[in-house]
Amino acid sequence: MMIELQTLWAALVLYVLAGSLSIFGVMLKRRPERFVLGLLLAGLLLHTAAITLRWIRLDHGPFLTLFEILLSNVWSMLVVFALAYWRVPALRPSAAVVMPIMFVMMGWLLMTNPGEGHMPPTYHTIWLYIHIGFGKVFLGALLVAVGISGVILLRQSRIGHGRFAYMPDDARLNELSFRFLAISMIFETLMLIAGAIWAQDAWGRYWAWDPLETWAFLTWLSLVLTMHARLAYKVTPRMAAIMVITVFVVAFLTFFGVPFISPVAHQGAV
Amino acid sequence: MQPAAVIRVCRAMASLKLTLVALFFFAAGVIVEYLALANAIWVLVLPLLLLSVNLLAAIATNPVFRRSGALLVFHLALLTLVVLVALGRMSGLKGHLELSEGEEFNGQLTELEAAPWHRSTLDGVHFRNEGFSISYAPGLKRERTRNAVRYMDADGRERFAEIGDQTPLVLNGYRFYTSPNKGYAPAFLWYPAAGGEPMLGAVHLPSYPANAYRQSRDWMLPGTAVRIWTQLQFDETILNPEKPSQFRFPENFVVVVRIGEARHELKPGEALALPEGRLVFQGLRSWMGYTVFYDWTLHWLLGTALVAVGALGWYFWNKFAAQPWDRPA
Repeated sequence: MMIELQTLWAALVLYVLAGSLSIFGVMLKRRPERFVLGLLLAGLLLHTAAITLRWIRLDHGPFLTLFEILLSNVWSMLVVFALAYWRVPALRPSAAVVMPIMFVMMGWLLMTNPGEGHMPPTYHTIWLYIHIGFGKVFLGALLVAVGISGVILLRQSRIGHGRFAYMPDDARLNELSFRFLAISMIFETLMLIAGAIWAQDAWGRYWAWDPLETWAFLTWLSLVLTMHARLAYKVTPRMAAIMVITVFVVAFLTFFGVPFISPVAHQGAV
Repeated sequence: MQPAAVIRVCRAMASLKLTLVALFFFAAGVIVEYLALANAIWVLVLPLLLLSVNLLAAIATNPVFRRSGALLVFHLALLTLVVLVALGRMSGLKGHLELSEGEEFNGQLTELEAAPWHRSTLDGVHFRNEGFSISYAPGLKRERTRNAVRYMDADGRERFAEIGDQTPLVLNGYRFYTSPNKGYAPAFLWYPAAGGEPMLGAVHLPSYPANAYRQSRDWMLPGTAVRIWTQLQFDETILNPEKPSQFRFPENFVVVVRIGEARHELKPGEALALPEGRLVFQGLRSWMGYTVFYDWTLHWLLGTALVAVGALGWYFWNKFAAQPWDRPA
C-alpha cells in the first residue's frame, strides 16, 4: 500500500507544480505551456500507476470509498483537461482556474482515509464501468467549461484584467464553453441511461428517486436550463459563465456530497 | 377561433421563456417530492404537461425544428419517454414473494402493488427454487448470491438457471430478483386426525443473519385453531465475522415447538402427537425472498433514450462542425 501512496504523492506534487506554473505564468504574463503539459502528463502517468497498483492489490477498481472516488475523479478530470489543454491551445491559460479547483480535491484526497471498502455484489457488472465512465467524461468536460468560464469572470476583475488578454474575446470563449457544456450534457444523459439499466438489474427498478438519482437528475435539469436560457435570452458571457459555474457546483455536490450523506443502497461509484 | 389567433396562441405557447419557466417548476417539483414537502404527484405532472404542450407548440411553429431533423427527433424522443414512463406507471407491477427450497411458485405474491391497467399473467408463470449459496466477506458483508431455479420455458420445456443479484429470472415479462431476505425454514408434515392427505409446509423464520437472534415464528396448524410457536436452536457459528464464510445449515440443531404451555424439542424425523393430528418435523430447508417487477415499457424506454441521446449528439455535431468556435458567426 505504501508504494501506491508514494506514487500518488509524487503525482500530486507534479500536479501542484503544473498548477503553480500555470498560475505564475498568468500572473507574470508568460506562457510556460509546454512545461505545464509535460508536468501534467508526468503526473497522470504516476497517478495511473498508483491506481493500477491499488486495483491489482484490491482486485477492484477505485469505485467504493470516498478516497477511491476522489482518487479516480482527480485522475479522470485531469485526463479530460489535459486532452483539452493539448488539443485546444487557446484555452491553456484556463489551467490557472482549473488547477486550484483540483488542488482543493487533492487536499481533500490527502485528508481521506485510504483504507479499503467492500465491493457489493451488485457492482459485479459491466454497467458499473459504463455508468462511471460516462460520468467521468461528463465531469471532465464540465471542468473545462468551468475553467473557461472562470477566465471570462476573472477578466472582469482588477486582478484578472489584462492577464488573459491574449486569449480569444469573451464571446468566443463563451462559445467554446458552451461546446464543452454540450459534451457534458450528452455524457450526463448517457450516464443517467447507463445508471438506470444498472439500477434495474441491481435493485429491480430503473428509477426510484433515491437521493443520488434525484440530484443527478437535478444536475441534468440545471444543464438543460442553462442551455435553454442561452437560447431564450441574450445572455452575456459573464452571466453564461456564472450559470456554468452553478451547474458545476450542483454536479460537484451531487458527485461528492450526496453519496456520503445518503443511507440508501445507491452509494454512488462515480 | 380564427386561424391567425390559433397561430398566435401556438407561438405564445411555443415560447422558449415558457420552456424555462416549466423547467424551473419541474426542478422545483423534483425537490418538493424529494424533500417530501408534498405527497402529490401533480408537482411533477403539471410541469411535465406544460413542457409537453410547449414542445408540441414549438414543433408546430418554430422553424428550427424543420431545419434540424436531429433536434426534432431529440425532442420527440423526450416526449415519447414521458409517455412511456406514464404508461409503465399505469400498467406495471411490483411485488414480493418467498419460496422454500424445493417449492414451486404458484402465481401468488405475498405483497403486491399492481397499477390500474395491469393485466396479470402470473398464473402462467411457474418456477421452482432449488436452493441458493451466498458467501460472506469478513464483517458479515454479503457477497454474490447464486440461486438455482427450474422453470418451464415458452415451449413447455423444463429449464435450469442460476439467478442472483443483478441476474433476474424473466418469465412472461415478469422479472424475479433474489433479495437480501432469506433464511431458514423448518419443514413439517401434518397428518390430520380426521384423515385425508398429509400436508407439507415450511415455516419461514425471520431473515438470517439480519435476525440471527430472533429465529422464531408463530403459525397455525392447517385446518385447526392451534397456534404454534416454533424456534430454531443451534449453538454453532454459521457466519464468522472474522473470516470469509458461507450461508449453510447448522450441523446440530433442534426445533423448539411450543403449543400453549407445552414445550417440545424436535429433531429431523421426530413427530409430535396432538389431539388434532400428528406433526412430523421433516428437516431444515432454506427460503429465498424475491422481488418481482413488471414493466413492458422497459425496452422501449431504453431504445427511445438511446435515440434521444444519439439525435442530440448528431445535432451538436452538425451545429459545431458548421461553425468553428473561434470564428464569428
